[in-house]
Amino acid sequence: MIRNTRPTRFLHVPWGALPRPSRSLFFDLPVFAFGLAVLYSFVVLARYWSGPLTPQVEIDLSARALPFYAFYSVLRIFIAYLLSLAFTLVYGYIAAYNPRAERFMVPLLDILQSIPVLSFLPGVMLAMVALFPRRQLGVELGAILLIFTGQVWNMAFSFYSSLKGIPTEMREAARLYRFSWWQSFTQMELPYSVIGLVWNSMMSVAGGWFFLMACEMFVLGKRDFRLPGLGSYLQTAASAGNGRAILWGLLTMIGIIVLTDQLVWRPLIAWAQKFKFENVEALDAPRSPILNFLRRSHILSVISSKTVAPLSEALALRFVRKDEPVETSTSGSPVRKWLAWLFMAAIAVAVAYALFRSAIMISSLGFSGLKSILIGAGATFFRVNVALVLGALWTVPAGVAIGTHPKLARIAQPLAQIAASVPATALFPLVLLALIQVGGGMGVGSILLLLLGTQWYILFNVIAGASAIPTDLEEVCRIFHFNRFERCRKLILPAIFPYLLTGLVTASGGAWNASIVAEYFHLQGKTFSTIGLGALISTATDEGNSQLLLTATIVMAMIVVSVNRLVWRRLYRLASTRYRLG
Amino acid sequence: MIGWPCLDLHRGILSLRFSSSTNFRSDSNKIDLGKRGMTTSPNTQFHTLASQGRWPEAIDQLSHLPLASAIELVGGLPDEQQQALFRALPIPLAAGILSQLPYYDQYILLHTRPAIEMRRILEEMDPNERMRLFDELPEEAWTRLETEIGEFKPIVPALKQPAGERRVVSEKPAVVVLPERGRPAAEPTEAPIIQAQAVEKSFLQPDGKRIQIVAPLDLSIYPDTIIALLGASGCGKSTLLRMLSGLAQPSTGKVLWRGKPLSETAPNVAIVFQSFALFPWLTVLENVEAPLLARGVPADQRNDRALAAIETVGLKGFESAYPKELSGGMRQRVGFARALVIEPEVLFMDEPFSALDVLTAESLRGELLELWQAEKIDTKTIFIVTHNIEEAVLLADRVIVLGRYPARIRADFRLVLPRPRDHKAPQFLLYVDFIYKVMTEPDADCTPPTLREPQQKGYPLLPHAMPGGIAGLVELLADSGGEEDLYHLAERLRMEADDLLPITDAATMLDFAHLQGGDAKLTPQGKAFAEADIATRKQLFRHAALEHILLFQQIDKTLAAKSDHSIPIELFRDILDEYFPKNDVERQLEIALDWGRYCELFTYDPESERLVQIPNEDEVESEPADACS
Repeated sequence: MIRNTRPTRFLHVPWGALPRPSRSLFFDLPVFAFGLAVLYSFVVLARYWSGPLTPQVEIDLSARALPFYAFYSVLRIFIAYLLSLAFTLVYGYIAAYNPRAERFMVPLLDILQSIPVLSFLPGVMLAMVALFPRRQLGVELGAILLIFTGQVWNMAFSFYSSLKGIPTEMREAARLYRFSWWQSFTQMELPYSVIGLVWNSMMSVAGGWFFLMACEMFVLGKRDFRLPGLGSYLQTAASAGNGRAILWGLLTMIGIIVLTDQLVWRPLIAWAQKFKFENVEALDAPRSPILNFLRRSHILSVISSKTVAPLSEALALRFVRKDEPVETSTSGSPVRKWLAWLFMAAIAVAVAYALFRSAIMISSLGFSGLKSILIGAGATFFRVNVALVLGALWTVPAGVAIGTHPKLARIAQPLAQIAASVPATALFPLVLLALIQVGGGMGVGSILLLLLGTQWYILFNVIAGASAIPTDLEEVCRIFHFNRFERCRKLILPAIFPYLLTGLVTASGGAWNASIVAEYFHLQGKTFSTIGLGALISTATDEGNSQLLLTATIVMAMIVVSVNRLVWRRLYRLASTRYRLG
Repeated sequence: MIGWPCLDLHRGILSLRFSSSTNFRSDSNKIDLGKRGMTTSPNTQFHTLASQGRWPEAIDQLSHLPLASAIELVGGLPDEQQQALFRALPIPLAAGILSQLPYYDQYILLHTRPAIEMRRILEEMDPNERMRLFDELPEEAWTRLETEIGEFKPIVPALKQPAGERRVVSEKPAVVVLPERGRPAAEPTEAPIIQAQAVEKSFLQPDGKRIQIVAPLDLSIYPDTIIALLGASGCGKSTLLRMLSGLAQPSTGKVLWRGKPLSETAPNVAIVFQSFALFPWLTVLENVEAPLLARGVPADQRNDRALAAIETVGLKGFESAYPKELSGGMRQRVGFARALVIEPEVLFMDEPFSALDVLTAESLRGELLELWQAEKIDTKTIFIVTHNIEEAVLLADRVIVLGRYPARIRADFRLVLPRPRDHKAPQFLLYVDFIYKVMTEPDADCTPPTLREPQQKGYPLLPHAMPGGIAGLVELLADSGGEEDLYHLAERLRMEADDLLPITDAATMLDFAHLQGGDAKLTPQGKAFAEADIATRKQLFRHAALEHILLFQQIDKTLAAKSDHSIPIELFRDILDEYFPKNDVERQLEIALDWGRYCELFTYDPESERLVQIPNEDEVESEPADACS
């Protein structure tokens, strides 16, 4: 073998050909085994799902049952994710290419995003159970759809804005060379959005874990739903006050999350580097041993060359547009226009009807109900912001320290990542148990719970901001002998401001959503709750009080949307004009 | 005057190169006239005579021929022989031949004769042809000629206008007509591939107003030419290219592809983009294969054709590399390969070299020309959009210069220079200077009839120039004695016309300088500005802006009238919205803000989104309360 004499820079820039598939069985056996396992699990699942309805599964708290529960939960999140992906592609595509639809689809997304996941629960669940009254499938689908509502919006947004961001000249190239719809999608639109989709998928799946507990076990009016899964396991353990079971459940969850990170997200991110739209190859591009492993697998390469390649070729040729003129603006035929109008009219009628009905519903709530909602909103508003401030207070110094000291970062960052990956909801029982021991009330407790869920967003953004401070500015501070206070005021705070803001915006949205879980909790057979909008929504769900649920949800969505518009967006503008580096 | 042409040209005259392939016909310049001339027997005879220096006999032969044939014969001679022959020609014949040549050849050949004969030849020339020569000669050349032969008084009374006053700008024809027209109307040897008929592009503003980007214009693209479309940035070049290629539909008028409307055919065209527009996730091979895949070419053929195209552009061995692993120049080669692989009949290029560094651009241009001349690429015509004048003169057979706001054709002419072209050749520089002149001269006068009245009365577009840049230019002009040739200036600054023009425009707008025939000349105000210190400069700038720019007058008046001396910027956005497209409005406001801040007239408060007056120092004492409002 001749030694590669190319400069080292090129070594990890394989010219597309490396790493080449090897014939070694070592790489193929694991792939093969994995395929078998997936097949088996599908058979098991199909049997369970098509089985008769058992709304109240007895949750076994022994550690032996955990793998099974874990499997079901992972699968639920996975299927919900696939649904989200499909929805994302369709919704984003339509919103990006149909100007008329875009006008209402994008604001709609904004509103849907601000509606707390659990407000969807009663509607979705009842609909699904009504759809499949005899089968377990109905309840399962309900849970999956709930997880879906927690995952889908940010992905759809990401895909939409990626499509909108495709450079004009690239689009023109595709049009001029008469790419078919399919070729544009596979060679331009999808690749361009891959990176955004991968990152948002990670966030979405983490969100799925966050709401897993609420989605797998809940009371709806008089009906009590339980599904076998990690979430219901943890919740049952918490209700029983079984510390050992909680610990086992938590460990399993963390294990799964770390494994997913290593086996799925890392390889995906490393693979997605290929789609980075940049001019230079990054020197420290993310890499993944798993990805290299897969690339070396002989079976995979044979399978792909026998299936994927011919299929994509056939598809590409199938969609070829022969001798059609270069597509300019599509004006649409009159029939299509009519259909579009009809469609719009139908939607308008439906919306008007829904508005009318909800107005009646809300008016039946009465003055006292409204008052309690307003008080609750105020309380939650206060709590969310206290949590944000507290979060910022500890994460900013910590983040700056980690971001500016590479040595510290090497130790602290992975730890923080693992800590952040544990869904706060799973930690709630532990924290609450501890609080009860100390004697703290739910009012303080819920702030702590909110903090638990949202501080990481701030921390990671601050770290990113602090590590992006240019060294020359640091040097300026050193030359002028700025003391610590001056350095913070003149350099660090302004420099991390945009990042801090991003962190706060995400954290704020997350905190509102989490307030539903944080202000109302079943533990040791008792219900712990405090005054707040989240608690109201949870109570309304439990009691099947749809007027209260609807109104409280609308109020929360309104608060979130208006805070976004009035506060965060303005601050963003300030950040992007005055505090932008470079 | 430090301008180049007179000096360089003067030296150039001693080593005169009269281009042998100067075409007297307007068909393809790929045909070598010299070679063609040799094939017939009278030609051979003539050539023998010329090569032996037997001028009297040669002249005798010439004088018995029709003028057109005589010119063709002369054109077939090597440069030195042409000059020697011309020196010996009787004056009427010399005048006849001369009147059919492009102005730089006229100028050079004239100078083979003594001054007195030069004058007589000029007098003998057809008056219209003489007018054309005077009109086209650059300022320096003209002045030089005048000092040599004395002031040229018209002898023929029929002449409308004394030659000495020919530089009245408004008398220029709307479209400058050079001898070899790009549109061979007289001899349509081949049908045009693309024909634009009264195409116009305008955009509907949200408020219902129409903004015209491209004024109605006609344009035909004939086979076997390289066409360069020149114009300042933002003048609508790219829009025109997109309409011609079928990417954009004209608002009115139509584009025909081989006689059929473009919107109903699948034209075989390709574009090379400024930003390359490659797909970074596809390998070089996949990128080049993509257009073929779109046409449904099966895999094996696709592979072969793509590999061939890659080899043509010199990228063999890089098939499996990704674009981001390549340098800018190599990436643009991929862009070329992707365009060439579908064997387009018309190859459009949208500033293909401007994202590359100078050397890379130079070598790529050279290779493109080589491929084209050796007919290694199956493209009938290349249509290149550029803002680089030298690039246009280096590449093109035909040059079209666009004016701005809205875009319209200011000049359209055939450019006849032998290849390979030499950057330093006098003819080359003459063309560059000429195009400079067309681009810099105020374009108010030569508007072809437009359907709509011009939109921006009262709101001349603020050129995209920083006050610092304007000050720099004024200083530079002051250092050069208050006057400087623009091309020379750009050369000294290592700038392209595109970068320099906004600055000169700004200086003109503020009345710090005047542009005249490709020269920039300082005004007294400009001189004062150049000599002032910073505070005075700001004051002078302020006065100039308030005096000459309507927008500034309005802003100033409005701010002065308000009790809090501030006004939402939205107001001016609305006002400008009626005159400019959306993007331009933002840019206009940005420029106005830059200028306003520099001259301390007003500033902008991003929090309240308002323009705020900067209290004038003289007024601070009388109105101290305003300082903190």
